[in-house]
Amino acid sequence: MPELILKNVFKRYDNKNKKKNKEMLPFAVNDLSLRCREGEFVGILGPSGCGKTTTLRMVAGLEDITAGEIFIDDVKINDLEPSEREIGLAFEDYALYPPLNVHDNIAFNLRAKGISEEEIMRRVNTIAPLLKVDSLLKAKPVGLSGGQKQRVNIARAIVREPKILLLDEPLSHLDGKMRQVMREEIKRLHKDIKATTIIVTHDQLEAMSLADRIAIMKDGVLQQFGTPLEIYDDPANEFVAGFIGEPPMNLLTVDIRKKGSEFFFIFAGESISIPVPKRYYDVIADGMKVRLGVRPNDVFIGSEDSKGSDVEISVFEGLGEERRLHFRVGEEFLTLITTEKIMYKPGDRIKLEVLSEKTHLFDINTGDKIQTEKQ
Amino acid sequence: MNAHRLHVAGKVGRNLLLVLWTLFALFPIFWMVLITFKSDSQMFNTTFWFNPTFENYEAVLFKTDYFKAFLDNIIVSAGAVLVSVVVGVPAAYALARFDFKKKEDLAFTILSFKFAPEILVILPLFMIYQKIGVYDSYFGLIWVYQLITMPLLIWVVRGYFEDVSVEIEQAAKLDGYRWWEIFLKILLPLIKPGLVSSALLAFIFAWNSFTFPLLLTSFNVETVTVASLKYIASDTVHYGQMAVAATVAALPEVILALIIQKHLVRGLSFGAVKG
Amino acid sequence: MADIQLENLTKTYKDVTALNNVTLSVHDKEFLVLFGPAGAGKTTMLKMIAGLEIPDDGLIKINDEIVNIVNPANRNVSMVFENYALYPHLSVYDNIASPMRSKLYKESEEYIERAIKDVTTKMKIDTLYERLPSQLSNGQRQRVALGRCLVRKPNVFLMDEPLAHLDAKLRHFMRAELKEMQSSFNTTTIYVTHDYMEALSLGDRIAIINEGQIVQLGTGSELFYTPCNEFVAKLMGEPEINIIPAQIIRDKDVVKMRIMKQETLVELPEDVAEFFRHNKIDTVDLGVRGNDLSYSETQTDPEFMEGKVFVLEPIGNRSILTVDIEEHHIRLIVPNDFQKEMDSTMYVKVDLTDTIFFDGETTEFLVRHNQTNLVKGGK
Repeated sequence: MPELILKNVFKRYDNKNKKKNKEMLPFAVNDLSLRCREGEFVGILGPSGCGKTTTLRMVAGLEDITAGEIFIDDVKINDLEPSEREIGLAFEDYALYPPLNVHDNIAFNLRAKGISEEEIMRRVNTIAPLLKVDSLLKAKPVGLSGGQKQRVNIARAIVREPKILLLDEPLSHLDGKMRQVMREEIKRLHKDIKATTIIVTHDQLEAMSLADRIAIMKDGVLQQFGTPLEIYDDPANEFVAGFIGEPPMNLLTVDIRKKGSEFFFIFAGESISIPVPKRYYDVIADGMKVRLGVRPNDVFIGSEDSKGSDVEISVFEGLGEERRLHFRVGEEFLTLITTEKIMYKPGDRIKLEVLSEKTHLFDINTGDKIQTEKQ
Repeated sequence: MNAHRLHVAGKVGRNLLLVLWTLFALFPIFWMVLITFKSDSQMFNTTFWFNPTFENYEAVLFKTDYFKAFLDNIIVSAGAVLVSVVVGVPAAYALARFDFKKKEDLAFTILSFKFAPEILVILPLFMIYQKIGVYDSYFGLIWVYQLITMPLLIWVVRGYFEDVSVEIEQAAKLDGYRWWEIFLKILLPLIKPGLVSSALLAFIFAWNSFTFPLLLTSFNVETVTVASLKYIASDTVHYGQMAVAATVAALPEVILALIIQKHLVRGLSFGAVKG
Repeated sequence: MADIQLENLTKTYKDVTALNNVTLSVHDKEFLVLFGPAGAGKTTMLKMIAGLEIPDDGLIKINDEIVNIVNPANRNVSMVFENYALYPHLSVYDNIASPMRSKLYKESEEYIERAIKDVTTKMKIDTLYERLPSQLSNGQRQRVALGRCLVRKPNVFLMDEPLAHLDAKLRHFMRAELKEMQSSFNTTTIYVTHDYMEALSLGDRIAIINEGQIVQLGTGSELFYTPCNEFVAKLMGEPEINIIPAQIIRDKDVVKMRIMKQETLVELPEDVAEFFRHNKIDTVDLGVRGNDLSYSETQTDPEFMEGKVFVLEPIGNRSILTVDIEEHHIRLIVPNDFQKEMDSTMYVKVDLTDTIFFDGETTEFLVRHNQTNLVKGGK
């Protein structure tokens, strides 16, 4: 299974506007460089319009590459036709051929390539059980459920024995339980066929659970490329921090105030103060404004005599396995999640504490992570 | 480079073809307007260069009862569209919202009236009209025009009703509105583009109608289409005068067609309902 | 202010029975959640209370008055539709003002202005008065729809999946906001959702609906800790609760349990064992949540069951480990930095403290440890 390398790839669409002064449209994909290892499962993740589908289509050959190069195993594929690139693409909306049965759907492009019927039979019969569609080979697409159609869609992409497998939003049209099942199946499938796989999705849960590494994009620009844990624990900027993780990270504008020899984050009109972790001391100053990020799981209820801030609970939610406390901070909430079996009412007061190793600081203007000296 | 040149050449070629086609398509109309200014004497021996005259206009507009025909046309066409709107809009609503046996069969039957060639039904209609005494009357013509105007209206307006999600009506009910208030305040504004454009189109079809008025009217009611025949005299055809009759008759429709363009803006209901 | 009574309500559409002889009482000022999978009949129930649908059979009462044939306009109920149903040609201001401009519920323009200001400030849409629905984002439209519902003082608020079409981040935020506003509602509210977190967070009581019938009615704690059957248990919680078959093994007075076909018999908590002494049920299903399982790389005690790692899914603050034990997929919660190869060996043990015992044949609730304390709605 080969490496897939994107080197400084740009994509800009033509402005089809009829006006005289045609402005250049912004880049749909802006200077993207990625290196996917052999057999790796890479997720390209981002909100709609971030350029992820455009990137996928450039790899597949369905879009021209404005600038930059794409290599599969050291072979530059920019000018190769899609059929010459040896990739398998599973479309977002399945695109199964309605008049053909499942077997013929899967075999379709093998037949188009002129592969012998014997070989086709062998391949289909190997792939079908892997995707649990072997009992459906004679059925037509119209009678299949969403999950079954998706499996046929993927089987069709894999049967070509492609060098790179591309999956476009494979779970977006499935409902809750089916999603969970398909997620597990795709993960196991990847282990079985060991293909270099790229999945495109807007659902961070999907990317986190499936990918070995995730490339997060926003407005055409790569924000961060790392393992799910790296991106979760150490987001490179505020956008990544707020996008990954459910429920989302608390992100608040805070002031830094010096009291004696210690620094504190102050917010909510001075009523909440959190000690600044020592590792940041070299990079902050009294009076500075920063964006503080802390995940709801890393906020906790301090004991009676703790030094945490005394805060009033605005909302209490009992959600079965966990409980959430929300504290009003201006227009937003600071959220705390705990599995302790406790009950509160709005108006109760508690001592608020934050796990200092798990705080993140972001520049108030750029949103970039504020590095500590050691990093 | 080559691709770019080819692209430009393609564009120029396409535009050239379009211009040629436009000239070809518009020429008859241009010619018609031209000959309204030609006197009979110069009709056959000149083409584009001649002495323009207003005598044809004088003859047609002031010396014949052209205006009566024009008025008759207005009465009949507007009347037909009015009836179609009053009957058609509730019919469209019923087809859009309610479910009853053979609904689609009924809808298609209504649509099929538009397909029927007028010549096919004219003979039996002639006899029936004579028998029940509506021959040569406004009422009779307005009634038969429904075959032309109503199907179009119902079909278009039904589509617009179907695009309005039923929950919007339900929300209005819960807000405390009665059914006629819901219709006037909520539904009508939302179907207006479809209603206006199909009513205008129906008017144009009714205005142009020839076969029905030709055979179902004589003295009392005379449409401009039929009136144009008068310019075929016993000895000659007064092309100039006929052209005036046709040009003046065409004017209202041209104006209305230009108005339709603006009303075909269908952006109204987009976004108010999720999904 | 009103209490709502539904008695023996039945509704059929063509061949499908949407509601099957449903009886339900909603108390004045209660926030009742109708929770269940798609197509269960929840929206139908809501629309019948509103008068937008007529039941085939049964009675709907508002404040003890039968309203079956009362016009929707006259029932004085206010509703948020799942797809918002905003008037496309009216501005945000006019949309929210609409209910107060009808003849039935007419208010003066000054009153309208104040009421709108009040509600839009709460919803944070007070800067959008002049916009048309087509010029709003989804989240904004949803708040306008809520605003139009809340601006009145009706007998009851009806909310049909109001948060369904929002992205996850906005959903969490709006749910907390809704809860914050709840105390100021002062009005009976019936809220429909298929999201269990919304149900648990917002509902005073929750009615679980499936296939046109109420399966269980109770507080969030009752439903979560003592679900009446496996179906209800599976609806609540993420990941879905594990259902593991087991056998009760009796040896005179000693009651133990064999999980699946494991060799080692496990001890039962005393109150559970007592239950099984008096009830001679042999086949049970264990409802075990992802948190109630412990894991180990080696078999540290005989109660640990051997299995193979099927899949490991990191999902942010934790990971879900699915282990195949005797062909059953058991899902447990593990820390997010946990690493393990697929198909490697893993040992899993069930903690019976919070395990729910169901009858293996009828799937109905039997018992759980510490049941009496929990059922009082304590924790």
